[in-house]
Amino acid sequence: MASDAIGDAVRGDWFAPGSSESRPASLERADGVRLLGDDGAELILGEVGGIEVSPRVGRIPRRVRFADGSVFVTLDNDGIDRLRLTPAARRNGLVHDLERFRPRLAAFVVVVALMAFAIYRYALPVMIEVAVAVTPPVVPQMIGSAAIDTLDRVLLSETELPLDRQRDLETQFAALAQFSDLGADGYNLVFRDGGPLGPNALALPDGTVILTDQLVALADDDEMILGVLAHEIGHVELQHSLRQVYRLAGMSALIMLIAGDVGEAVEELLVEGSALLSLSYSRAHESEADRRSVELMLKAGHDPLAINRFFASIREELGVADESGMLSTHPGTAERAEALEAYAAELRGRE
Amino acid sequence: MDVGQKRTVARFSFVGSAGEYFGIWIVNILLTILTLGIYSAWAKVRRMRYFYGNTFLDRHSFEYHARPLQILVGRIVAFVLIVCYNILVNLNPIAGGIAFLGLVLAFPFLIYRGIRFHARVTSYRNVRFDFAGGYGGAFLAYVAGPFLAMVTLGILAPLASRWRYRYLFNNLRYGGRRFACGATIGEFFGVWWFPAMITIGMFVVLGPAVALLTGFSPFVPGFGQYAIIAVIYAVVLIGLVAYSVSGLFYVAGVRNVAFSATRFDGRHRLDSDLFRRRYAWIAISNLLVTVVTFGLARPWAAVRMARYTWASTALAIRGEFGTYISELKDESGVVGAEFMDFEGFDIGF
Repeated sequence: MASDAIGDAVRGDWFAPGSSESRPASLERADGVRLLGDDGAELILGEVGGIEVSPRVGRIPRRVRFADGSVFVTLDNDGIDRLRLTPAARRNGLVHDLERFRPRLAAFVVVVALMAFAIYRYALPVMIEVAVAVTPPVVPQMIGSAAIDTLDRVLLSETELPLDRQRDLETQFAALAQFSDLGADGYNLVFRDGGPLGPNALALPDGTVILTDQLVALADDDEMILGVLAHEIGHVELQHSLRQVYRLAGMSALIMLIAGDVGEAVEELLVEGSALLSLSYSRAHESEADRRSVELMLKAGHDPLAINRFFASIREELGVADESGMLSTHPGTAERAEALEAYAAELRGRE
Repeated sequence: MDVGQKRTVARFSFVGSAGEYFGIWIVNILLTILTLGIYSAWAKVRRMRYFYGNTFLDRHSFEYHARPLQILVGRIVAFVLIVCYNILVNLNPIAGGIAFLGLVLAFPFLIYRGIRFHARVTSYRNVRFDFAGGYGGAFLAYVAGPFLAMVTLGILAPLASRWRYRYLFNNLRYGGRRFACGATIGEFFGVWWFPAMITIGMFVVLGPAVALLTGFSPFVPGFGQYAIIAVIYAVVLIGLVAYSVSGLFYVAGVRNVAFSATRFDGRHRLDSDLFRRRYAWIAISNLLVTVVTFGLARPWAAVRMARYTWASTALAIRGEFGTYISELKDESGVVGAEFMDFEGFDIGF
């Protein structure tokens, strides 16, 4: 063996270019590279340049591709690294070193967990804000008109409210809406028979506010209706539905991108889980809209706690259970009422 | 002729280890986050090379040859396509309808290009695979088949499975030679009836149970709405487990049937002998352990499944394996492959 040899000879299989037929061979570095068959025949003798070595991953076989297209495959990972055939072979070793099963991996687990939490807690909300900011106004308009089309077809039907009663409520709504950030022109109040939705009010992202006949009938006075409408104004102002859409999309995209190999079933669970998590955000949205209702009603000179009275009468009439369930999209009404009373007192105190 | 040559059965084996893969897996996630997702392409190549490179048949391993930059470009294009599609669908019903129609039409194209990409970046003994399937076959196997199985409530699922496996195997090439899957519809129905009975049994038992419990509950004091909710959850859970078990039984049975009826080059025979119960147990316990460990056991689970499925797969070689020559083909179609990756299709060989 020549005196300038680097490493020992490495044993493996040699394949002629593109052929499945192999023969045992050994590769060594002496006067360039030399590949010898088991019978001692010299298969390849040449320069080191033009040789490709596949990066090291675990203990899988390494593949050395020669300039003539023939291939040498070996399980001797350390041996191949000692031959130092290409600079790339050393660079790729870096990732492999990181991956070795050492106590250091436990630190990686902690770092990954912290980063995943940070992404969820801080990066995702920023991404949502950016997405909301760059969304052209035409998008909420299109979502809104599509939503009311669907609702009209599936759930709602025409209102049976007398025209003068509609005009009356529209006037009161406009007077209330002028105190909102978007002004009275930002909204469009429509009346519908709620059907299966019952006493309800819905806000669409384009500023359309749907009020059901059942809600008008259930309310003891107009203040209650206005309290609910102010709540819906809050949803529109704060662009809650758009944020919800982006949150769900962002979570799914992050899971698909980062998780890589988590398995089909776990990926499914994660996506469903993030949908559940975003329900808890919709609870936060409800509370925000509640507070906005109190603020607006106070500004417009109405009873700021009208929305509380409304929920109290709903509970009485319909017997809705007074518990906050994990999966409910609306905060439990008792908690909700107390929080709002405190908030109204605080606002009044400031005046 | 080689009629008189004797067969040697070579089993596949997966020799990767959970500890080793754990390192690769966690570093993949770490670097993907640190590079804002760019590394995910490199991560995928390392993961695929680990699984292919540790799968041996007759002393030789498989190899995965896709390059990370290829994968990265495919990922970006597929991601943009999916985002655009989702925006269109949410925008308004007309645009959404057109987008949906476009996707249904583009889907078979993406599928067959994706499968072809996967085949062409896979090699065994220095020889690449290839895939010759086209648009029509992909439409039948991946759009019409699943649709038919769905509208018949799974009764025609064996037909869909047959279309899919015939499409995959009959178009698969290795060194220019063909695979041929001769599984009959009867054989597919043979592994269908038992899982089907489990599903029917589940409805027969659970349906009346729910009706009874919820129907009588108003008359039973103390049986409030929370008890009803608890019952419903319990029933959903049992139903889900039964449904998963029957699904897994079916998947394993179909794989056995399709593989065992497949010949390569007219002489070597593939074989698969998964035990359905063991396969279902591994899949379900893998999921549970992964969830309980907050995902940390995923590498162990993946290695465990790969070990079992490959150990249950064999090639009966008649005479010598033979000499095959690789046909060089371009490696286009990575967008289709990444699209399927995002959509959760598994098309590894």
